[in-house]
Order: sequence, then C-alpha cells, then structure tokens
Amino acid sequence: MPKIKPRVPIGKQSPMERITNFDSVLYGYTEDQAVEEASRCIQCKKPKCEPACPVTIGIKEMNLLIAQRKFKEAYLLVKEDNAFPACSGRVCPQEKQCEGACILEKFGQPVAIGRLEAFIADWGRTHEVEIDEIKANNEDKHIAIVGSGPAGLACAAECRKYGYAVTIYETLHKPGGVLIYGIPEFRLPKAIVEKEIEHLKEMGVKIELNHTVGQNIYYYELVSQNDAVFLAMGAGAPKFMGIPGENPMDNVYSSNEFLIRANLMKAYRFPEWDTPINCGNKVAVIGAGNVAMDAARTARRLGADEVHIIYRRTRELAPARKEELQHALEEGIIFHERVAPVRFHGDDDGFIDYMELVRMELVEDEDGNISPEPIEGSTFYMECDTVIEALGTVPNRLFLDRAPDIKRDERGVIIVDENYMTSVEGTFAGGDASSGAATVIKAMGEGKKAARAIHAYISMHDTSHRQKVQKVEV
Amino acid sequence: MPFAITKMIDLDSMDYLVDVEAPEIVERFHPGQFVMLMTRKEGERIPMSVMKAENGKLTMFIRKLGKTSKELRDGITHFENVIGPLGHGIKEKAYGNVVVVSDAVCGQAENYAICEALSKIEGNTITSIQTFPSEKEIYPEEYLAKALADQHIITTEDGSFGEAGNYITVLQKMIDRGEKIDFVFGGGKLPTIKAVSTVLAKNNIDNLFTTRQMMVDGSGMCGACRLYIDGKMKLVCVDGPMFDSRKVDWDKAIKRYNMFKKKEKEANDYYEAHKGGSK
Repeated sequence: MPKIKPRVPIGKQSPMERITNFDSVLYGYTEDQAVEEASRCIQCKKPKCEPACPVTIGIKEMNLLIAQRKFKEAYLLVKEDNAFPACSGRVCPQEKQCEGACILEKFGQPVAIGRLEAFIADWGRTHEVEIDEIKANNEDKHIAIVGSGPAGLACAAECRKYGYAVTIYETLHKPGGVLIYGIPEFRLPKAIVEKEIEHLKEMGVKIELNHTVGQNIYYYELVSQNDAVFLAMGAGAPKFMGIPGENPMDNVYSSNEFLIRANLMKAYRFPEWDTPINCGNKVAVIGAGNVAMDAARTARRLGADEVHIIYRRTRELAPARKEELQHALEEGIIFHERVAPVRFHGDDDGFIDYMELVRMELVEDEDGNISPEPIEGSTFYMECDTVIEALGTVPNRLFLDRAPDIKRDERGVIIVDENYMTSVEGTFAGGDASSGAATVIKAMGEGKKAARAIHAYISMHDTSHRQKVQKVEV
Repeated sequence: MPFAITKMIDLDSMDYLVDVEAPEIVERFHPGQFVMLMTRKEGERIPMSVMKAENGKLTMFIRKLGKTSKELRDGITHFENVIGPLGHGIKEKAYGNVVVVSDAVCGQAENYAICEALSKIEGNTITSIQTFPSEKEIYPEEYLAKALADQHIITTEDGSFGEAGNYITVLQKMIDRGEKIDFVFGGGKLPTIKAVSTVLAKNNIDNLFTTRQMMVDGSGMCGACRLYIDGKMKLVCVDGPMFDSRKVDWDKAIKRYNMFKKKEKEANDYYEAHKGGSK
C-alpha cells in the first residue's frame, strides 16, 4: 500500500471571526483543491462508499470525473441520483456513511466525499448547468406530497422524473422544511437551499405554500383528488422536559422555536426583519444532538457571552456529529456532561433566572444498556437568562388527529410496510413521519425509495377509483 | 402572491378596519378561528382575529399601536401573506341564552363573528356586550354586533356612554337579576378575562374565551403559545384559540403575552426612524 496523502484541508472562518456573523463556516473547495482531493480516491473495484449512501450517489465516478476536471459531467451524474447535493454535501453525517465506509479510512483519512459533493453542487449551480428536460409523461396521474422537507422534496423530484404531476403542500410560507427553518445559515446557506428547490419547480413540481393538511386542507381531499399521496410531514412538534417551573417559563424555548425565529424568520436581523428573539448572555442548551449544537452556536452568534450545553451522558456519547461538536467547542461553547435540570426558577416577571440541576451517573443494567441515573444529594444551581430545550421532536398531531385511517404506533409514528405504504392503500409515508426523528439524508433516501414504490403502485393498479377515508375536519 | 387590501377604514377609534382579499381562506373559515398576517417579506407572522369572512374577503380590526398599523397608516396596499384558517372554530349549534363579550380589538372582531354565526341558528338568544374605553372609541354602528344580537349593550370604561365599567359589570347584573345564562363567549384583554373567569367559575357558567398568546408558526411546531390548562400542556394555535376561562392560568398567560414587549418597542422605533428608506 502506497503512503496515503492527507486530506486537502478546507478553508473556514476562524472561530473568533465566525461567531460575529451567520455566514457559512466552511468556504468550500476551490477547483484545484477539489481535483487534488478527488484524486486521492483509489477507484476501488467494488466501492464500499456507494452502498453506504442513503441515496446511492455514484461516488466513485463522481470522484473520477472531478479528478479529470469534468465538472459538468460530475454535476449531472450527482444530480441524477440526488436533487439536493448542495444540501446533503453540507449536512450529511458522512463519517457514518460514505466516508465511514471509504477504504482509505483504514489507512488514514477517507476521501472528503461530502466536501466534494458540496463542491460539485456549487459548481453546477454557479455555472448554471442545465438539467435535461423530463421526457416521461404521466401527467394524467397526480401525486400529492404532504410536507416540503427532505423526504417530500426527494420524493417529488423522483416522482417528477417518472413524469407524474406532482404537488407539494407545505404549511410554512417557505418550502424546505428543516433545511429552511431548522438548520442555520452558517451550516447551510438558505440561498443554496432556495436554488435547489427552484430547480425542482423548473422540473414542473408545484409547491402550494401555507397549506396545512389537517387544518386548511384535508387528507380525505387529497385522497379523493390524487392517484397517490406521500406523507412527509416529518416529526415537527417539540418535546419539553416537563419539569417543575416550566409552566411555561419565559425565555425558555424549544429548539424548534429558537431556530424557527432565527432561521426562517431571520430574527438575527431584527429589527430590520420583524420577528424578535430574546437571547440573553448566559444561555443553557439542554441536549447534545445536532439540533442542540445548532441552537448553541446560533445563541453564540446572537451575542451570548456564555453558552452551556447540558447533557445527561458523557461527551463521547453525544449524538451530534463530531465535526459539529468540535465547531461548537472551538466557538467557546462549554460542555457539561452527566448533568440534568430538575427545576426552573424564574424572576418576578416570569423570566428564567436559574436552573436547579443534579449530577448523573451512568448505570449499566443486566442487558448492557447504559442509562443515566441521578446521584442523590448532588443538587447544584446554575444562573442563566435563556434556556433552549433541544430534546428531539415528535410527530405533529394536527395531521394525525384528522386522518384516523392512517395507522401509527403509540408515539404517533406512521406505520408503513416494506414499500412505504401506510394502512391506507395508495397512501405512502417516509422520513421522520414514519421513522421518528432521524437525519436529512435518511429522509431523502426514503423519499426517493418511496417514489419508486409509488411508481410501481400506479403502474400496476387502477388508481382511478379513489380510496375511501373518513372525513374529519377541524 | 400578495393579498390585496381592498378597504381600510380609520374607525376614528383606536383601531383600523381592514378588508383583504383571501378567497381560499374565506371559503374554509369558521367563526372562532384565526389567521396569520405577514405585512411584508421580512414581516412577522402575526395572529389575527376575523370579524367577517365573505365575498372572498376577510375583515379584521387592527389596533393603532404596533408596527402593522403604522404600515397601514403609511399606505401599504397588500399583505405579503395571509395564512389560515388556523385553530378550531366554535361549535355552531343552539346554546340557549348566549352572552358574547369583548373589550378590545380582536375580541370585538370575534364578538361580531360569533354573533353572526349563532344568530342564524334557531334556539339561540344572544346578548352581545361590547366594551370601549370611552365614547369616542366606539365603532360606527355597522361594525358592532348590534344588528346580530337580540340584545346589544355598550359599556365604556370611563362611563362616558352606556353602562359604566366593562362587560363584567353588565354580566354580573344579569347574574344578580337571576337571568339564565347558558354559555358565554368572549375575547379581548387578558386581565379582564382573568377577572371574569372567577365570576363564571362562581356561577358555574360554561364558556370559551380567546386566549391570545404570541405565536411563530401557528401550526404546532414551535411551542411558543404553550400554556398549561388543567395541568396539561396545550398549544393555543392548534388546541385553541378558545379555552374554558376557568381552566387557564391567567397570571402566567398575561406575563407571557408580554415576553417581547421591549422588542416590540424597538421594532416600532426602528420603523419610525427608517420608514420610506431602503424599501
């Protein structure tokens, strides 16, 4: 085995610089850097990276084409498998997927596949490469997609390639789901997301904004008007700890609220933009997943002097991507392990003043499961003026309450078969709505696979007689 | 797709009346539901009550206080976005003797909408009580629920017209006279609702009051409007906006409603300093 060259480093804003703005932390590879990095790929006969990709991008060929400076071809190749490479290249947990499977991982550093994907997506976008027109025509068949997050978008792109008439219904006034309201600008610039969604519209996908299925348009209507329905409304409702003092305390946010204000409503540009956010100087973020890191780093950029991550387990067990955790630490975010809040204390005006916490120990049970347990007598206090609860999300019952025919489990997660079909024939589901909270790319993968299942279903069935479901309205 | 403002009337009160074209929303609107407005692309999603939804137009009252009213004053011709209908409407059925009360801008809109809906149903005898600060703030008659209610009572807080005091004074008198009240609907200032909730609790009267809270998405995603009702977390946007006033922790609701007071002032000052500037 020849000596493996190290990865081509990527330019980034320094930590002290980047906490003063919301611009992208990473600068992205230049053409020369990308060529050099792609040339590190040893072109395995049986690449392990591709099966590890939830949307099975032709990674090996992408690397080869980039190495040969055939950027346009590389772009078209990636776009064929993934309509949103600029997004996934930036937010995928590559270390657990393609890069984790890369053979070079064993000999040093894997090929920076994510960065190359982002590079080629940016190159195609800035060079305005045109995508071939869709040739298939099945526009007499209609598919309704609920939700314009990663699963819905990926499903829409794939369904459109089969030539169907596709309409996405989105609750918010901007499409993109978590790509727009959740993931911050500094990790995923919104102009990039908007451009990739613009491509989808140019392909002929219709997006109906401000349409909440279950509220101002109903599931039974979609069923009666479409040949197939894809449910991709995600897991959009926040979880709260339910501890004393929460009832609700002011300046205690769900991570959803904090990030929606900051990202979708651009509260970081208040008062030029109208939506306010109260972010104090001493912020505590509960949880240690990617969303917690996003919230913590957003708080830092909103001017918080101190941002504390409060986590029940150890730093090694934090579910956040290593890179995001590392970025957060570089930005001065303080990580507290094995601690948990037990009570919030407010001031006279109802704003959070300090938290009561306990220390936790990790206890292993007979089955080897490790769970955090409070240590008796370990109570301590922490002053804070803002708390963000980043505890994960659950399905939004607004839809589910008004679609009783759709079977789901006790958590409200929609039950699907191996073809992504729900308990109602012709209605499919994917992404967080049917698998609980997961990643952007997993949702995209499911959206894409569900589209194939929808295509098979429509091709093999007479969908002209519509399914009958209960009419439930608000 | 901007939403055209087809009518704006200065009610010569504390409020404007605004008509906006939103046929899709009108078609599906039920009294008691609300909408959200964004005046511009950079705007906030502001929850609004609706007075009338007919002929493809929504009619709303907007208080001359916040930034939105200043934009109206300065002649905006459309809203960037109108979203809805959101939340639950009231059950449109026979309640018996119904009293509908209100003492502020959005409450006045709901008063009209609820009276209109219930007046069409046999078995409802409606008393509408509308409170204004003083005689000069009373809306022109056509925008009051007068023609829709069997009995319409105006009160003024300073006693300059009609009954002196707020709607509670009248309601209490009705109770004292032994009048049968089957249901009370209401909306407006939260401190008044807090006060009336004890009267309703004492006399065991069923009721629904609009619980105004700040919101962001209005569809159950952010949890900003969460309140604990009977010990359980409820979202005003998807579970409300109307709740039994006896079950709401009003002290908490009132404090929380003011969470962004300082920021609102900042937004107002910024608008006054920059209007007609870059946009």
